Amino acid sequence: MNVIEKILARKSGRKIVAPGDVVVAEVDLMVMHDLSANFVMKVFENEMEAARIVDPSRLVFAFDHNFAPATREAAEALAAVRRFAAKHGIRNLFDSGCGSIHHCIMEAGLVAPGMVVIGCDSHTTIYGAIGAFATGVGNNSMAALGFVHGKGWFKVPETIRIDLHGTPGRAVQPRDISQYLVGRLGEDGAVYKAIEFAGPYIESLDVPDRALFPLQTIDVGGKCGFINPDEKTVRFVNRLLESRQTAPPFELFRNDADCRYSEVIDVDVSRIEPQVACPPTVGNVKPVEDVAGTPINVAEIGGSTGGRLSDIRTLARCLANRRVHPGVRLQVVPASRDTYLAALREGLFEILHLAGANIFPPSAGSNQAFNMGALAEDEVMISTQARNFPGRNGHPAASHFLASPLTVAASALTGRITDPRTLEDA
Amino acid sequence: MSQTIAEKILAKKAGVAKVSPGQIVDAYPDLVMSHTATWRSVSVMKKIGATKLYDSKRLAIVLDHISPAKTEKYAADQRTSRNFAREYGIEKFYDIDAGIAHLVLMEHGHVRPGDLIVGTDSHCTIYGALGALGTGIGYTEVTSVWVTGKLWMRVPSTIKVTLSGRFSPGVSAKDLMLYLIGTLGADGCGYRSVEFYGSALSEMSVSERMTMANLAMEMGSKCAFVPPDEKTQEWLLPRLGDAASYQPVLADADAVYERSIDVDLSTLVPMVACPHQVDNTRPVTEVAGTRIDQAFLGSCANGKYEDLAVAASILKGRRIDPRVRLIVTPGSKQIMLEAMRTGVLATLMESGALVTNPGCGACAGDGGMMADGEVSLSTANRNFVGRMGSNKSSIYLSSPATLAASALRGVITDPREFV
Repeated sequence: MNVIEKILARKSGRKIVAPGDVVVAEVDLMVMHDLSANFVMKVFENEMEAARIVDPSRLVFAFDHNFAPATREAAEALAAVRRFAAKHGIRNLFDSGCGSIHHCIMEAGLVAPGMVVIGCDSHTTIYGAIGAFATGVGNNSMAALGFVHGKGWFKVPETIRIDLHGTPGRAVQPRDISQYLVGRLGEDGAVYKAIEFAGPYIESLDVPDRALFPLQTIDVGGKCGFINPDEKTVRFVNRLLESRQTAPPFELFRNDADCRYSEVIDVDVSRIEPQVACPPTVGNVKPVEDVAGTPINVAEIGGSTGGRLSDIRTLARCLANRRVHPGVRLQVVPASRDTYLAALREGLFEILHLAGANIFPPSAGSNQAFNMGALAEDEVMISTQARNFPGRNGHPAASHFLASPLTVAASALTGRITDPRTLEDA
Repeated sequence: MSQTIAEKILAKKAGVAKVSPGQIVDAYPDLVMSHTATWRSVSVMKKIGATKLYDSKRLAIVLDHISPAKTEKYAADQRTSRNFAREYGIEKFYDIDAGIAHLVLMEHGHVRPGDLIVGTDSHCTIYGALGALGTGIGYTEVTSVWVTGKLWMRVPSTIKVTLSGRFSPGVSAKDLMLYLIGTLGADGCGYRSVEFYGSALSEMSVSERMTMANLAMEMGSKCAFVPPDEKTQEWLLPRLGDAASYQPVLADADAVYERSIDVDLSTLVPMVACPHQVDNTRPVTEVAGTRIDQAFLGSCANGKYEDLAVAASILKGRRIDPRVRLIVTPGSKQIMLEAMRTGVLATLMESGALVTNPGCGACAGDGGMMADGEVSLSTANRNFVGRMGSNKSSIYLSSPATLAASALRGVITDPREFV
C-alpha cells in the first residue's frame, strides 16, 4: 500500500484497502475558510435538526478571504461564524488577518502526517505535502458527515506517480514545474486519482515548495496529492509541532516498496521553461514566451500558491533598488502572520515599499476579490494566485495570468508579461 | 489692515486689497484636490462639454477612499480617473497605494502656507495645519474649478481659540478637539474660520496640528489655521524643495475676531465621542467599560506616524483582547515606511493588530465593516449611523492612546492607566 491507502485503512479500521474500495474513515481535521464556514454552518443549523458537533476540537475556521469585510453582508457573515464558533466551543477560529487558510493552519501545527483532513476548499490537497490524506469536500458533506459524525466516506483512489528528475533551468521555479504538470495532464487528467510526486527533483525541494504540487493536484481533477514522507518532512513537521505542547505524536506512513500505480509519468524538469496559466482557466498553460509582451495593470505575490517568505524574498531580490513600472500596481500579500512579521523584520517590506509595492495584510489576497483584486474590463493581472477563472477578479472580460514569483516580479518591472530569464539576477 | 488669516488669503487669491466677513469673492485656488470621486468630476466635465483645464498644475488627484478596488465598478471608476490624469498630464496624480489624499499632499510639499486649497473632501480643513486655507467642495464644483480656475466664496468670520498649559499624560490633540466639538457643538463654528493661538502651540507637533485642523471641520468650520511657526518651517521646508515658496500668511495684530475661546490644556481629560454624533462627547471615564468588537486606528485625523507610535508605545509587549479586532491603516505610504523602519509596525503586528495597506480604510467604510449590534472604537473623525457598516452598529471616537488601551482590555479604557 502507499501512504494514502495506509492512512485510509488505518482510519477506517481495516488492515488493507485497495483502489475502488469505499471506506468510512475517521476525520482528524475539518478546515473551512470564512466563506465556506458560513455555508456549512447554515447547512448544519437549518437542515440537521438537533444535531451535535461530535468533536469541536477537530474543526478549524480561518478567515482569509475577508481581511477586513468590505460590505455589511460580509461583516454579518463573519459575525455569524464567530457566534457559531462560540456557541459550539470551536476554539480554532483564526480571525481576519490570519493569512491564507492552509498556511495559517499548517503554521499553527494543527496538521500532522497520517491525518485525514477534509476541507471546504479545493486546495485542501496541500496537506499531502506532509504525508496526510487531504481532500476537498462539499458544504453538505462537511456538515452532515464531518460535523455530526467526525467521519467521511471515500473511495480509495488509484494512484498516478509522477517522477520528476533533472535540474531546472535558470529562473525556473517550482511553480513553473507544478503549473507545467497541470497543463500537461489537463484539467481532467487525473479525475479522482491520487497523485504521488516523487523523484530527485521533489526530494531536492524544501517542504513549502513541495506543497505546490499536492495543492495543484485539484487543478487536474485529482482527489489528493502526496509526497512520500522523508527526513525533510519529519524535520519540518517537528518544527511546526514544537509550538504545540499538547500535540499528540503523529504516525508516519510511508509507501511500501511494492505499491502499485495506475500510471507512472516521467518528467525531466530541465526541459521545462517558465510557465504561465493563461485566461480563462488554470489548465491553459503556456510557456511564458507565448504571452510575453502582454501589458499588465496589476501584479500580485500572494494566495495559497504564493506569498510565502521565500516568494517575498524572491520579489525583494528582483526589486531591490528598482522601481515597479509606473503602469503597474504591485500587491504583496503575505501568506500568514508569521510570514508578515518575518518579512518585515528582514527588511523585505522596506525594499518592496521603496520599489513601489503595496503591502497587504496576511490573507488570501485577490482570490475572489473580496477586499482587493477587482479588475475593470480589459484590465490584466498577473499573479501567483491559484485560480484565474472569468469573473473571479472583477469584470468577466478582465484577464488573469498565473505565474511563478519570478515571472510576476519580472513583469511588474517591465509592465508586460516578461520571461524571468531576462532578469540578470533571477 | 486688521485682517485674519482667512481674510488675507481670500483677498490675495481674489486679487483684491482687503475683504470683510460676509463679502463674496471670486477666488483662484492654488490647488484642487479630488480623490476617489474624481471620476464623477470627469463625467461632469464630459457632460458640460468642457475639454480644457484652466491649469493642469493646480490639479491633485489621489485615489484614497477605496484602495484597491473591491468591485469591478470601483475598478472601472478608478481607471476613468487614471486615464483622465494621463490624458491631461496631471503631475500630482497618486494611485491607490499612496495613502490618504490630505496626508499625501502635505508630505509631498503640495501644500504651502498661504495657499487656497479646495477639494472633494470636507476634511480639507487639515491644510490649515500648515497655514493654508483648505475647504471642502462638491465634485461638480471641482469640475468648475478645473475648467474656470476660480470659485466664488463667502469670506468667513473668524473665531480665535487660545491654548495654554500642557496636556496631562494620556491626553492629546484629539481629546482637545473632542472637548471643543462637544462644548461648541457640531455647528458651533458653522462657516467660521478658526485660528489657534496660545503658549501651548509652540510645543505641539505638526502631526497634532493636523489633528486639530482636521477635526475643526466637525464643529462646522469653513477652515482652520495654526499660524506657521518654526515647527511648520522645519517640517515643511525639506518637503517644499524651494524655500522661496514658503511665505507664511499671519493675521494682523489688530485682526477682528467674532469670538475668543480659551482652553487650558492641563484641565483636559481623555474624551470619547459617543454614538451617533461627533459632538456627543464625554470624558472617557463615563463610558469606560463599554465592550468593543473592533478598534480602528487610522484616518486623516489620526492615521499619522505619531498616532501609530503612541498606540504602539501602549501595545508594546502586550496582546490585544482576543475579542477585539484591531485594524491599523497607516495614513500614507511614507507613514507606513517610517513605521516599518522604527519597529512600530512590528510592535503593532505582534500585539495582534491587522495592519492594512495605506489609505482611508475603515473610516470611510473601505473594509472593517461591522455587523448588527457591533461596537467600534475608532480614531477617525466621524461616527454617524451606518458609516462603518450596519446601521445597528455603533461607533465611538477617541484618541490613539485611548484606542490602544481599549484594544488591550476589550472595553473602552482610560489610557491614563497605561501612561
